[in-house]
Amino acid sequence: MIQVREVTKRYGAKTVVDHLSFTAQPGQVTGFLGPNGAGKSTTMRMIVGLDAPTSGDVLVNGKPYASSKAPLHEIGALLEAKAMHPGRTAVSHLLTLARTHGISRSRVDEVLGLVGLSAVAHKRVGAFSLGMGQRLGIAAALLGDPAVVMLDEPVNGLDPDGVLWVRNLLTGLAAEGRTVMLSSHLMSEVSLIADHLVIIGRGRLLADTTVADFVTAEGVRVVTAAPDDLRALIAGPGVTVTSTGAEELFVAGTTARAIGLAAATRGIPLFELTPQNASLEEAFMDLTHNAVEYEATR
Amino acid sequence: MKITPGGVVAAEWTKFSSLRSTWITTGISVVLLIAFGVIASASFTGDNLSAVDLALSGSTLAALAVGVLGALLGAGEYTTGMIRATLAAVPRRLPVLWSKSLVAGAAALVTMTAGAFAAFALGSAVLNDGVGSVGLGDSGVLRALLGAGLYLGLVAVLGVALGMLVRSSAGAIAILAGALLIVPGLAALLPDSVSEAITPYLPSNAGSAVMALTQGENTLAPWTGLAVFAGYVVVCLAATAYRLKKTDA
Repeated sequence: MIQVREVTKRYGAKTVVDHLSFTAQPGQVTGFLGPNGAGKSTTMRMIVGLDAPTSGDVLVNGKPYASSKAPLHEIGALLEAKAMHPGRTAVSHLLTLARTHGISRSRVDEVLGLVGLSAVAHKRVGAFSLGMGQRLGIAAALLGDPAVVMLDEPVNGLDPDGVLWVRNLLTGLAAEGRTVMLSSHLMSEVSLIADHLVIIGRGRLLADTTVADFVTAEGVRVVTAAPDDLRALIAGPGVTVTSTGAEELFVAGTTARAIGLAAATRGIPLFELTPQNASLEEAFMDLTHNAVEYEATR
Repeated sequence: MKITPGGVVAAEWTKFSSLRSTWITTGISVVLLIAFGVIASASFTGDNLSAVDLALSGSTLAALAVGVLGALLGAGEYTTGMIRATLAAVPRRLPVLWSKSLVAGAAALVTMTAGAFAAFALGSAVLNDGVGSVGLGDSGVLRALLGAGLYLGLVAVLGVALGMLVRSSAGAIAILAGALLIVPGLAALLPDSVSEAITPYLPSNAGSAVMALTQGENTLAPWTGLAVFAGYVVVCLAATAYRLKKTDA
C-alpha cells in the first residue's frame, strides 16, 4: 500500500506538488494520470525517498520507505528507462542492485526470463533499445519480490506486443495481492489496466475515482416523431431533457431502456435511441483542460 | 532478504568490477607508475634523488589516474542516472558512499602497492650506475613503498568523494587535477614567506611526503604528511555525505 498524505513539493518558488493525498491499495492497479508536467514523476520520486517532500509525508506499507530493512522487498520502482550505466550488461546491472539485499544470482536470471531478456542477459545495456531498457527496468523493479510495484510510464517505447505483456503482467501482479501503481499521460492506456484512477494536474488532485465511475454515461440521444410528447412523458426529478434538433432530444439522468419502454407504452415512434458516453479520453481532457502545464498555442 | 553493510559493499564491488573502464583505468595507473619508475631509474644521472624516489617518480601521474578512476565511479552514478536505482535500493544513502569509497580505495591500495614494489624491483634492476642502490631492508624504503600504495588509495577515495560531490565527471576531474597538479605550481608564485609556509600542506605535497626517502626542509614528516592528506579526504567525504543525505537525488 502507498499512502501519500498532504504532500507538497516546492522547487524554489515553483510548487510542483500541492497538498496531494491519495492511497494506492493492495490488490488493485492504480492508474496515476496527469498531463506532462503535472507532478507525477516528482510524486513517484518522493514515494521512494529520492526527493524529500517540502511538507507532508509518504508511507509505503505503513512506514517511511527509508526505515525499511529490505527496501526492494517493500517496493519495486521503475522511475525512468535507462537509469543504468550503459557499460554494464543486463545481468551485472541487476546484480549491483541484488547484492545490496543478498538477493541470489538465480533470482536475477529468473526476472530476466520473466521480462524476456534472457537472450541478451550478457549484452551491454548501452546497446539496448528503449523498449528493452523498459523491460530491464521492470525486471529491476520485480527483483525483490516487492509488495508494491510502481512504474513510471512503463509502456513508453514498447511495441504493441510489449504493451499487451505489461498489461497482463500488471493485472497478474495485482491479482496476487500486490499494490500496483503506474503513471501515464494517456488515459486510453491506463483505462484498460487500472481499477482505480488518481488524476492530477499542476500538482493538485483532480479526481480520485474508479474507471467505471469516471466514465458514467452522459446521456441518451433520442430521435422521435413526437419530441414534445416524449419530453412530457419522461420528465421528472433528476432527468433533464434538451432539444437538440427538430426531432432530436438529448436526455440525461435516465437510461435508454427506460426511455424506450416509456415511449412504447404510449406508442410514440422512436427512430434512434443512442446512449452517449463521453470517451475516457474526452473526460480526461475536460478534467485536465485547465491544468495543462505546457499547452501549444492554437 | 535484507539490506546489509556487507551487501552494499558487495554491490559496489560488482559495480566496480563490471565496467571495462575501471579495469582500463586501473591498468593505466599501474603501467604509469611502473613505466615512469623504470625509465627514471635507468636514465637519471644526478645525485639528489635516491633509488626509491626514482622508482616512485610515476606516482604523480598514477595519482591523477586513480583519482580519475574514483571520480568516474562516483560521478558515473549521476551522469548515467543509475543513482536513482542505487538510492531506491539503499534509501539510507550514506552506506553507498562509504562502500564505494572502500571499494575504490582498497582496489587502488592493492594494485598501487603492488605497482610500487614492481617499480622498485624493476627500477633497481636497471638503475643507472651513478645512483646508489638501496634494498628493501634499508631505512625508510618499505615505508616509502607502502606509503605510495596508501597515498594512491586515498587519492582514489578523494576521486569518489569529489565525483559524488559535484556529480559531474568533467568537474570532478578538473578539481582533482587542479588540487593535485596545478595548485602547487600556483603556490610557488606567492611571496616566498607565504609560499614556504603553505607549500608543505598542499594536498599532493603532503601526501607525497610519505613516499620520500629523505625529507627536505620544506616537507612534512612522512606520516604527518599522509595524515594531512587523509584530513583533506575526510573533509571532502564529509561534504559529499552532507550533500548526498540532504539533497534530492
